[in-house]
Amino acid sequence: MNRLLALVLVAGRRLAGGLLLLVGATFLIYFTIRSAPGDAIDAITPMGTPPEVKEKLAADFGLDQEPLAGYVTWLGRSAHGDFGESLVTVTGEEVMTAALPAFRNTLLLSFAALLVCQVLATLLALVLGEPSSRQQVLTGALYFFTAAPSFVAAIFFSQALNAGIRHFVDTNGYEPPDWYPIPIDAKSIMQYVFAGLMLIAGDGLFMDMFNTVRAEISAVRNAQFIAAIRAKGASTAPHTLRNLVVPFISAFAARLPLVLGSVVIVEYFFTLDGAGYLLLEASKQRDFPIVVGLSVLFTLSIIVMNLVADVVRAAIDPREVARNG
Amino acid sequence: MGKFARLGFWLSGLIVLAVIALGCIAPLVPYEPADAVSYDDALVSPSLAHLMGTDEQGRDIAIRLVKGTEAFFLPGLMAAAISIVLGGLTGALTGYATGFFRTAVLGALQLLDTLPRLVFIILVCTIRDPSVMLIAFVAGILFIPTVATVIRRKVESLASEDYILAHIAHGFSPVRVLLHHILWLQCWPILVRQAAFVFGYVLFVETGLSYLGDYGVQEPTPSWGNMVAQVRSLPSDAPWPWLIPAAAIVLTISGFLAFGNLAARRGEEAVR
Repeated sequence: MNRLLALVLVAGRRLAGGLLLLVGATFLIYFTIRSAPGDAIDAITPMGTPPEVKEKLAADFGLDQEPLAGYVTWLGRSAHGDFGESLVTVTGEEVMTAALPAFRNTLLLSFAALLVCQVLATLLALVLGEPSSRQQVLTGALYFFTAAPSFVAAIFFSQALNAGIRHFVDTNGYEPPDWYPIPIDAKSIMQYVFAGLMLIAGDGLFMDMFNTVRAEISAVRNAQFIAAIRAKGASTAPHTLRNLVVPFISAFAARLPLVLGSVVIVEYFFTLDGAGYLLLEASKQRDFPIVVGLSVLFTLSIIVMNLVADVVRAAIDPREVARNG
Repeated sequence: MGKFARLGFWLSGLIVLAVIALGCIAPLVPYEPADAVSYDDALVSPSLAHLMGTDEQGRDIAIRLVKGTEAFFLPGLMAAAISIVLGGLTGALTGYATGFFRTAVLGALQLLDTLPRLVFIILVCTIRDPSVMLIAFVAGILFIPTVATVIRRKVESLASEDYILAHIAHGFSPVRVLLHHILWLQCWPILVRQAAFVFGYVLFVETGLSYLGDYGVQEPTPSWGNMVAQVRSLPSDAPWPWLIPAAAIVLTISGFLAFGNLAARRGEEAVR
């Protein structure tokens, strides 16, 4: 009971901290908007926006008020999920109606890619064991290739794929452009699988994860309590696993921001129906409400991920409660 | 440090030196993109006249590759400088200070750290005139928390070391001990690693956005990113116009990351 209470307290503190971070982050986003050169409303709307739309937008974003009062107005509306209406990308639609389904796709893709990446990194770490000079050719090569930006990896991948397909598959006279990832059908799940693979293979994510995972596994395996358990003749596996859960969750949560950045470019490359694609399209056309709404969603998801990771860690490991309680 | 790691250090060091040299000489090379167009020489394969061949508009790829370093070299240096100077200082301060000041600075750092970097860069680009310098400036600011955190951990672990206490007992001012003995003498390997990382990140963002074609460097000004973007219209039997800059991007990013890590490892062995 006592432990449960302590856990609730930790969760409450984390939640309060998360809310504070959210307020701070939205404040930063809002003042980035306000810092626009010249008349902010001209800077953030597409050319030729009718004046009444501009006025409504200025009222929505509190641009007609003092900065601080404007921020409070905007935050109040945003807290109700009202981020205004899209200007061009999906004209007239509520920002959240357009953004939430896309963002769900993006989150699913990022989480799946990150999870698979962690599993693969763990498998490699288990196979290789402790670092030795004989592995260095392999790890060196992996370092080199996985450091490639995900979009470069994606180009190489689709070029190879297309060349392969031309050789082995009868495309029925249809020749897709070399750089374009197959299949063309936007609804196909394969697009998402390819995008996930590129997230794992690019931007240095894999080796970064591998190093962390291997160090954590090695730290637990070489811990004295494991030696003691082995000396008593008990099985070490359950204890090893239990002690790895906490660092594994940390490693996962810490890399989410990086993946949420890479996913923007990868989604655009594969033209996926996701938040990254929507963000770049909206940004290109200066569809400002969408850009701001998505920025807030991205930030929120990072804060929530850290919050959940903190609470789960505290629930699993009593030492976390003692340290932070 | 093993034989292989030493080889990696020298190879990556060579790449870093080459990129720095290219970045320095690129502004001196006279190049007018419009004059370079010559459709008679389009897609010439690599030869003595054109070492790396030419692209669809008959422009020499080798020169564009050299000029393309201008797109990220100074911005990368600026971002690295911003993040390691400001991150190093705030890291040292938060590692040393106590009380409300420390809590406030740590809170501000955590705040910066929750912003998704690329998304925030795109937000800024939507509002202001996008340029690589602006992107690099924002990237530099957004990397302050990363640098500050590693420096803070190092300072916290060093602050109770006997020789640091001895320095203070000796009458050196805390500022001097912090900046010279801890930050300068002990933390430089960390700073080298972080600087190389931030430089690599700027190259990644610049080439990525130039590839997508809206916020990065615009044609006809060369950037490795918009050179790679030519892949969309190239015939499959003439891959060099995109293959060469793509290889340059991978080599440079890998080179900088590896150099940062291996130089830091050498440095940490030497410092100890």
